[in-house]
Amino acid sequence: MTDSATPGGGTVELVIDGVAVRAEPHMTIVEAAWAGGVPRVTGVGCLEGVCGSCRILLRHGPDVSVALACETFAEQGIEALFLPAPTAVRHQYELTDFTDGWDIQARFKEIFPEASRCRHCHGCVRSCPKGIVVEEGIALAAAGRFREAGEAFLECVMCELCDTACPEQIAPAHVGLFCRRITAFFHLRPPNLIHRLEELRQEPFSSAGEKESS
Amino acid sequence: MKRGLSLQAALAAYRPDAELAPLPEQIDPDRLLSFFHPDHLRDSVTTLTVGPNAGAHCQRELADLLQAEAVIDEVDLAGVPVTDTDVLVIGGGGAGCAAALAAAEHGARVLLATKLRLGDSNTVMAEGGIQAAIEPGDSAQKHMQDTLRAGHHAGDPALVAAMVGDGPEVIHWLIRQGMQFDQTDSGDLHTRRAGGTSAPRIVHCRDYTGLEMMRVLREAVAQHRGIEVWDQHPAVELLSNERGQKCVGAVLSSLADRSLRIVRTRSVILATGGLGRLHLNGFPTSNHLGATGDGLVLAYRMGARLCELDSFQYHPTGLVNPPYLSGKLVTEGIRAAGALLLNAQGQRFVDELQPRDIVCAAIIRECREGRGIHPDVGGVGVWLDTPRLERSQPGLLERQFPKLLARTRVAGIDPRSEPILVYPTLHYQNGGAVIDVDGATTVPGLYAAGEVAGGIHGRNRIMGNALLEIIGFGRRAGIAAALSGHDRGPKKITLEHVNRARRALALAGLPLARRAPQVLPPYAAMGKDS
Repeated sequence: MTDSATPGGGTVELVIDGVAVRAEPHMTIVEAAWAGGVPRVTGVGCLEGVCGSCRILLRHGPDVSVALACETFAEQGIEALFLPAPTAVRHQYELTDFTDGWDIQARFKEIFPEASRCRHCHGCVRSCPKGIVVEEGIALAAAGRFREAGEAFLECVMCELCDTACPEQIAPAHVGLFCRRITAFFHLRPPNLIHRLEELRQEPFSSAGEKESS
Repeated sequence: MKRGLSLQAALAAYRPDAELAPLPEQIDPDRLLSFFHPDHLRDSVTTLTVGPNAGAHCQRELADLLQAEAVIDEVDLAGVPVTDTDVLVIGGGGAGCAAALAAAEHGARVLLATKLRLGDSNTVMAEGGIQAAIEPGDSAQKHMQDTLRAGHHAGDPALVAAMVGDGPEVIHWLIRQGMQFDQTDSGDLHTRRAGGTSAPRIVHCRDYTGLEMMRVLREAVAQHRGIEVWDQHPAVELLSNERGQKCVGAVLSSLADRSLRIVRTRSVILATGGLGRLHLNGFPTSNHLGATGDGLVLAYRMGARLCELDSFQYHPTGLVNPPYLSGKLVTEGIRAAGALLLNAQGQRFVDELQPRDIVCAAIIRECREGRGIHPDVGGVGVWLDTPRLERSQPGLLERQFPKLLARTRVAGIDPRSEPILVYPTLHYQNGGAVIDVDGATTVPGLYAAGEVAGGIHGRNRIMGNALLEIIGFGRRAGIAAALSGHDRGPKKITLEHVNRARRALALAGLPLARRAPQVLPPYAAMGKDS
């Protein structure tokens, strides 16, 4: 961190978690919080926008939005508030409970009953820091098109800001992940991998270097 | 005085269709490494004076932590609540989740404690892919040879054999957890060739392999009925029996209010990852915020042997600018797909698919000898020639590297038309705790899996072996820990090993003022409790 700002302008003033902070405009909100000594900033992980931990509420004049602090830059007069981590998973399932691929749509409706109640308020789309077409993805999932729905969520970092925004508590990020997982679980059957597994089943790999283990 | 070219001048001179001279003749790799690899920088290595590795070479910044006093003492444990469980997993990245799932599958009650949020780890940032010998011309034997050769034959052949043998089954297990991989038109898993390998063997999910793996494993752990998760509870010390010779639990500290909790257990699995945030030799790092080497510190104080403490991996292609992304990674997958490295003169200087340590040393040589490119804000680097790759395979970047494009878009750079400035970044701890094929350390009751464990990668790791190791050895450690026999006799939990370590420090005349583990880097801990 640089010791002080360039004299005479160049720096911006903002408020992070209620603490007034002076920062340089190329700093992210995370860097500005550190430089400004903002206490108890624990929701920081990868610092490159893929872990989804540094969720903030952002006030920009009259506009309020949500974002990831490691990808949002300090600006004059803005206010940022670090949000607590997402609540525990509400929709319970284990993939091993699924035995029949023909049941997936029915089971999906039991696990995620809210997914078919989307009101098209666009809250999830507006809140997504990754530009995912969340609402379309949910519609595809509700229509049983799990592969396409999952593909829509490829870049999802599980920040769950969409969940926070959803008035129907659909938990869109978890719906998206369900769609991806169920697609792999039932449909990913790569011949080259299966062939090698079969070879290894008939003749397990052993090398001179490997110790006897069990 | 700066030699080389300014960023503007280099950009102005850059042409994606410029004719390239043939690759100059390469000097002997050992000479290149000894002159230019950061492990060999003067004063970067010291000798340990206490503990199980006394007399061994160790990076200076790490030695300071390994030979430090504990952060807690017996008086701190009075009245601290105790939780009992069968298996305690410390760390919530890929190795920790794999270990927890495997232990739970084998009937153990599992508690997983993690410093940050479950899944905040280096795993989630991994881009390139995971190695598994599945192609017709490939074999576990070749995978093993590549791994040992790239590691300069310092790896333990038994561990390497175990890892490469697990490869195809690891991919199968991941698919059963719901992880997706890229496929060819015929449905095969798509493979790429990594630097330093003899066959295409990297399977991947675009350049989001780690994110895809981590979100699937996080969900599987969070949904599992047999696993309890404590977020924001870093381990600050292990617990030993009254003779200080067996690990019987750990002391956790809440990140929110620093209150302590004792976990009493029959097995502890360390899955705490690496130490990039110690910024060895002043390098930037690709690692996440929690990578402060805590697991090595805890294991060493408990008496576990470590290995290769003077060998770290500096990934050749870390970003140089913008400053907030300094040290963040550009995946090796992009070189595997054909991208070249060019110096300020617009010429190639190394075979881009040599092992990482060689490519890293070659980039440092170019920059030190005045063939680097200097941006205004500091730093130096060479070009990763993405526009040329895009010209030869139009649309490739968008199809296979969406993460790179998403990140550079935020930074206002388009790698399809502008080359990327890169310089080596501290990436990976090659060594770690000595383990056997079950992930058991030299201390009874203490297991290690993932980056905190050592012995597999020797002195240099090849791409894709980290993601394979964390799942393969995470599962091995989880199974062994779950099946390890119940302890008979009194269950006394003590800090006897801490007392023993303190006596050793005092006898050696080392200062007792420094305390470890560090938990967070100093710049992030600033003002934490004010």
